[in-house]
This record gives sequence, C-alpha cells and structure tokens, in this order.
Amino acid sequence: MFQNNREGLALALPAAVFTALLFLLPVGILLSEAFRVDGQWSLQGYVDFAVKPLNQTVFLRTLKLGFLVASVSAVIGYASAFCIVNMDAKSRGRVFGLVVLPLMISPVARTYAWIVILGRTGIVNDAIVGLGLSDTPIRILFTETAVFLGLLQLFLPLMIISLVSAMENLPKDVIPAARVLGANWFQVFTKVILPLTKDGLVMGGTLVFTGSLTAYIPPAILGGSKVLMLETLLYQRVNVANDFVSAGIIATILIVMSFGANLLLKRIAAARK
Amino acid sequence: MSDRFVSLQKLSLAYGQTEVVPELDLDIREGELIALLGPSGCGKTTTMRAIAGLMAPKTGKIFIDGTDVTRTPANKRGIGLVFQSYALFPHLSAFENVAFGLRLKKMDNLEVTSRVEHGLNTVGLAHLAARKPAEMSGGQQQRLSLSRSLVMEPKVLLLDEPLSNLDARLRLEMRTELQRLQRETGITMVFVTHDQAEALALADRIVLMKEGVIEQLGTADELYNKPASKFAADFFGFENIFAVSDAGIVGNKGSLAGTFEAQDGHLAWRPGAVVVGKGPYEGTVTGVAFAGEQREYVIEAALGQIKATTPATDKRYEIGDSVAFDLPLAGAWHLPEGRQGVLMAK
Amino acid sequence: MTSKWTSRLIIGLTLTFLIGPFLIIILAGMSAGDFLAFPPDGLSLKWYIKVFTVESFQKSFALSMFLAVFGTLTALVLGVPAAYAISRYDIPFGETIKTVVAAPIIVPGIIVGLALLRYLVIPLGFTVTLALFLAHTALVLPYAVRVVLSSLNNLESDMEEAAVLLGCSRVGAFTRVVLPNIQGGVLAAFILGFVTSFNQVPVSLFLSGPGVRTLPIDMLSYMEITFDPSVAALSALLAFLSVVIVFVAEKFLGFSRYV
Repeated sequence: MFQNNREGLALALPAAVFTALLFLLPVGILLSEAFRVDGQWSLQGYVDFAVKPLNQTVFLRTLKLGFLVASVSAVIGYASAFCIVNMDAKSRGRVFGLVVLPLMISPVARTYAWIVILGRTGIVNDAIVGLGLSDTPIRILFTETAVFLGLLQLFLPLMIISLVSAMENLPKDVIPAARVLGANWFQVFTKVILPLTKDGLVMGGTLVFTGSLTAYIPPAILGGSKVLMLETLLYQRVNVANDFVSAGIIATILIVMSFGANLLLKRIAAARK
Repeated sequence: MSDRFVSLQKLSLAYGQTEVVPELDLDIREGELIALLGPSGCGKTTTMRAIAGLMAPKTGKIFIDGTDVTRTPANKRGIGLVFQSYALFPHLSAFENVAFGLRLKKMDNLEVTSRVEHGLNTVGLAHLAARKPAEMSGGQQQRLSLSRSLVMEPKVLLLDEPLSNLDARLRLEMRTELQRLQRETGITMVFVTHDQAEALALADRIVLMKEGVIEQLGTADELYNKPASKFAADFFGFENIFAVSDAGIVGNKGSLAGTFEAQDGHLAWRPGAVVVGKGPYEGTVTGVAFAGEQREYVIEAALGQIKATTPATDKRYEIGDSVAFDLPLAGAWHLPEGRQGVLMAK
Repeated sequence: MTSKWTSRLIIGLTLTFLIGPFLIIILAGMSAGDFLAFPPDGLSLKWYIKVFTVESFQKSFALSMFLAVFGTLTALVLGVPAAYAISRYDIPFGETIKTVVAAPIIVPGIIVGLALLRYLVIPLGFTVTLALFLAHTALVLPYAVRVVLSSLNNLESDMEEAAVLLGCSRVGAFTRVVLPNIQGGVLAAFILGFVTSFNQVPVSLFLSGPGVRTLPIDMLSYMEITFDPSVAALSALLAFLSVVIVFVAEKFLGFSRYV
C-alpha cells in the first residue's frame, strides 16, 4: 500500500467519472422518468403497468424461466462438475475448455442454431414425423420450451464453471471419508457435497438467473412476439409504441431483480466467512 | 567513524490513525551491524521502512551521515533494502536484476558489466548470471537480492528478516556470509528480526522494541545476561518470572512462601537455574520432553507453572510424578522496581 | 467400471448440448439450397462465400471491429490505472469507485443503449457511432479492471518498492517492473474485452442508425427478412473466429487463468 492516496485517487478517477457520467447518469435519468407522470413525481406509471394482463404474464414468465433455467442448470451442473473434477488432469482441462468455449462465441450464433434444430423442418420435427409420433410437424419454435433451451445453452457453462471451482476446493478425501462412514451416494450429496459447495451454487445460480432475466437474444430469436420476456417487451414498447414510461419501469424491474440477486449473493458469501 | 551515522530523532510513525511508533530516538554507528528485535507489531519493520523512505514519519527527523533526509524520496536516499520476500524482478535474469539500479544511473555498459560480475562473484552466483529468479533456489535468490542492493554501494543496508525464509542449514551459511560481507564492505547494516537467537548470533548491538518503544539497547551479551525489564528477561529466556512480595514470590496461580531477600520488583530464573529433585518446594510434573543433552520439564506448583531443564543423565521423572524443586536465590536475576536489574549474590 | 461409463455419458450429453448446435450450424451453412435446412440440401460453400460479398455485413463487420478494438483499448487506458490504484492505494471512497466501475456489468445492456440514445444522441447531438463507442468502452471497463486487478494482486508490491530503492521513480517502477509482469493479464483483458464487445447485442439494439449497425444486430435484422443459410454460414465463421482467438490465447498465454 502506498501512502499518497491523492495520487491513487487521480489514477482511479478517470475510469469512475467516465462510467458515472456517460453510463450511470443517463441510465439514472431514464429510470427516474418512470416515476414521473405529466411532470409530477408519481407511481401512477407503475400502477398502470401492473394492471395490464400482458405485462403480468410477461413478468411472471420471465421470473419462471429464470428460476427454471437456474434450477435445471444446477442439476446438470452438479452432475457434469462432479464428473469433470474426477477426471485425470489432461482430459479435465480439455473438457473444461470445451465447456468454457461457447461463452466466447457470439450469442446470436449460439441461439441461431436452435432455429435449425427446432424449426418446422428441423431435426427434431424430422425425427418426430419420421418415427410416426405425429403426422404433421409440431410447433416448438416460438414456444417457452424453445426459449428455455436457448437460455439454458447460453448460461449453463457459467453454472458448470462455478460448481467445478467449488468442487475443486472441496477438502481432499471428504467423499471417500463419508463413504467409509457409511453414507450412500444420496447422503454424500446432500450431507457433504451440497453444504460444502453452497457458495459455488449460489454464485452460479445468481449468474444464470440474472443472465436469463436480462437476456435479449433467446426470447427475440426463439420466442418472437409470441413468447415475450421483459427485455423483448421493453424493446417492443419502445419500438412499436414509443412508450418510454413502460421502458423505464421494465428497466427498473430488471435492475432491481439483478441487484437483489447480486446483493443476496454477497450477503450469503459474507455470512460464510 | 561516526557514532551517529544514522540518527532517528523524535521519530513518530503511524499508518493512518493507527500509531505504531510514538516517539523514537536511536543512533546507529557507522559500520556496525545492528538488529531491530521484537515481537510482531512492535514497530521494528515500520521503523526500517521509515529509514528507507518508504513511509513518511508523522513528526521527527532522520539523519544519514549528517544529512537530514526526512524529506528525501526513497529513490534518492542511497539506501539498500533486502526484502523478506527478496522482491526480485521475475522478468529479468540474475544479471539484469543486479544491473537494474546501475543502469538507472546511466552508467556505461562496460562499467555495468564489470560491477555486476563483481557483485555476482561476491555472493558466489557468477555462474547463474543468465538464470531467471524463478529458476534459482531460495538461498540463491536471497544472495541475488543481497547482491542487487550491494552493487549500489548503499550508505546503509537494511535487511528485513534476512534468515526467516531459509532452512536451518542455509540459515547458518547465510549468517556467516552476512558477517563476512559486512566485514569486507564495512557497510552499516540494520536488520529486522523477531528471532532472539538470530539477533544474538549476528548483531554487534541489539535494539529490543516493544509497542513502538525501545525496551533496551545494548550488545548481545548485555541483553542476554542483563535484561533491563521483565519483557526483556522474558524475551531472552528467563521463562520463570515472579513478582516479589513480603512473604515470598507470587505467580499467576498463587504464591510461594520463603525468603528471597529482594524487597520489590521481580525475580527471574532460566529453566536451567531451577533445581529439580530436591528442595523445599513441591510440584507435579505435567510435561516432559527429551531434548538431546537435556530434559525439559513443566512442573505445576502452588504458584503456577515452572519451566525447568535438567541434564539428560539425571533421574527421569514422568508425568504425574510429584517432585521436589528449588528456586535458588543465587543465579536468580532481580529486576527491582524502577532500577537496574542485578544478579543476586551467591 | 460402470461409474466411469456413467461419467462419460453425462459429460458426452452435456457437451453435445453445448457444442452440438455449432456443428449443425456449420453444416447448415454448407447447404447448396436456398433455404435453411438440416440436413442440408446438398453441400456447397456458396453461402460461406456469399457472406463476404454482402455489403451490409462488410460495413457492420468493420464497425464491430472498430468498436471492439478501440473500445477495449480505451477501456484499458482507463482501467489499468484504476486497477493499479485499487490494488496499491487505500483510496478515499475506494468502495464507491469500485462499485461505480463495476456497475455496467449489472445494468442490463438494453437499458444502457436506450438511455444513451435518449440523453446523449438526441439532445446533445452525439453521433450513434460515438454513443456506441462510449457504451462499449463502459461495458468492457469492468472486465478490464477485474482481469488486470487480479494480475496486479498476484504481483508483490515489494517489487515496486525495491525498484524505487534502486533509484526508479514511481512511474519508472510501473513501466519497468509492474507492466512487464502483468502484460499477460493486460493481453488477456484485451482479448476478453474484444470478444465481449464484438458479441454484444443489447447495448447496440437502440443505437443504430442509417448505415450504422454492429454485426450481430445486422444479423438479427437480416434473419428477419431472409431465410437463407447465409446467417448460419456467418455464425459458423464467427464461432470459428472465436475458437481460433481463444485457442491461440490459451496456447500462448494460458488465457483461462485470467478469466
């Protein structure tokens, strides 16, 4: 640590001022607009927003998909992470690399693939018709299922990474120790692995949950106007109706939920220390 | 030779609001090897950093060779510091590490090369000039760090816990090496340590510090044999220290009646001065350990714990044994209240 | 050995789910037909060649490259000193500064784009390109700070003090000792920032004007109008580009250490 803190402030300030002025200030003004109706401070905008059935549906759907994606990725994440940490070093590195890789690839590209897979003439429908399960192709694209799959594919790596690093930090030999003491695999998981990897689970869960809430591409490409989520609803309100009040409200909801999740994460992480 | 080559005058040091050293006066002689000794948090490292210029004193002055350097920045003070972590530059070879400061002086290349080669030679690393620090052993890194400071021909060389990261064998080797370098170069050296044995073995004089205050300053012999305070006595191996009262001596559990002739203050015994197996007092052995030439006992007595050692050839007592012991007055170190300590007469 | 096979099966399924779609995209882009389909109607490379000739793709690719390179460089110019200050000084309002700089990660990008459009572009007359540049810089900044910060924290500050005691100025200690030892981290931050910026969609949604569109936005609007395999081909090419970048970065830098 150096003593001249004014020097330090001078080094840190440009970045902070840049972000505050050109990023936080405009965003702050936008959010505050949702609390103004006809030039007066008011919550009327929120009331009007909340009573519309479409808005309710979209809000609940967004929450539901967020939870669903987080839960399913937790299940897949635990299974995969457990397998990954038990591999030999060489294949572990390779598999881990393959898990991380998609994060570096354009989400548009990642999501677009599902059109080919789930479309009317996609692989899944070809299989369904080919196997005689249905006479005509069924609609999967533009359903919640499609959006769910898109989100899951986008964010699953974050969960796996969090859980792998949590499991790598497990004290050596606790699992064999629990087995020797007579625990079955279910007990090993619930009584040893789960409590010891809770931080990783919370971390991954927060990343996946907030990621899903605020993702634009999967609902836009795979949901369209039939399966709106908050982000796509926001886009539509602005583009179709020039409705900046709704945009501000949705923005506030999104920020509050992301912030809430992050705060929860910090709280839980701090409580463990 | 100046007696006040490095002079700290009314130096007060603080990290923010936390005062570490309230007011320190210390004179260091030219060409001596002096140790700042004390437990962690005693302000020894902070004092060293202040001498180096890495931290500005709140008040007070620092003189080096007669010049007031209190406001001189660290890079202009001409002081060398060997960090506990060695702080070698990992991206540079051993040669370039040593050349680093010389090059900054805009010295011509030939001069740099000859000085670096000489510097590496002095510490026996000439054959490793091309290696990166990561490819060297701990002892080699230590010597490289030393050489990097020495080639700058500093007025004062500071060393932060110079032996603490080395194993026992290397420690002895390094100790000899430091003494040799000091003799050969005549550089004034100040080293910081928490290890009394290290200070005793290496330093011409020792500054014993406690909570930012100098507890005692003197030669190794003086500190070891004539500790001036309870703290100093405890630090240098008087493990049995008891307060003197009218009726006897008082420990943390109770007292021991008897005549101790001292009126006030404390009486202190090294473990070796305690007589085990005979004497007027009774205790129970609660710990025994074999340590080669001697046996170490922990004896639980009426006044508290007594630490004692006996020659390993003496009778062996087991845990739980009841044992007689004596705290003979002859050989006890008396620390009277507010006066110099004295060795009690035989 | 059943557990070994179960383990392989689980990993196999997970990787198929994560990676499989890309293989499908690559093949779908190789279609000889005019419509997106899988399996493709015959094989040809015509769509892979065609994407290079589409004028709007050329322009949007250039814009995305510009934003990714210069936005990230600007973020590093701002972020490296900030990370240095955070790791080496006990700065006043340090926590506030950290929160401010990290905030763009939490604020949903779509809102940022909208806010910049409404309060910088429309009233103050900023060009859309400038607004995009600012938004991408702010967005990359938290990643730049985080990655550089972790490399700085791995570097002992003793080393800088040693350099100063050997005669360096503070700036000299930074350029001669700190920078050479964190250059891997800075490069990793650049790559991460570049990829993040290049792939960024929500921020750019509202920030587009006549002839000013980032590549991912351009792809989104293209796929609304046309249903030919060119977007698949382009997606495959972009994926391939990312893979190459990451592979090279991992090989020469041990990239994953920094992320």
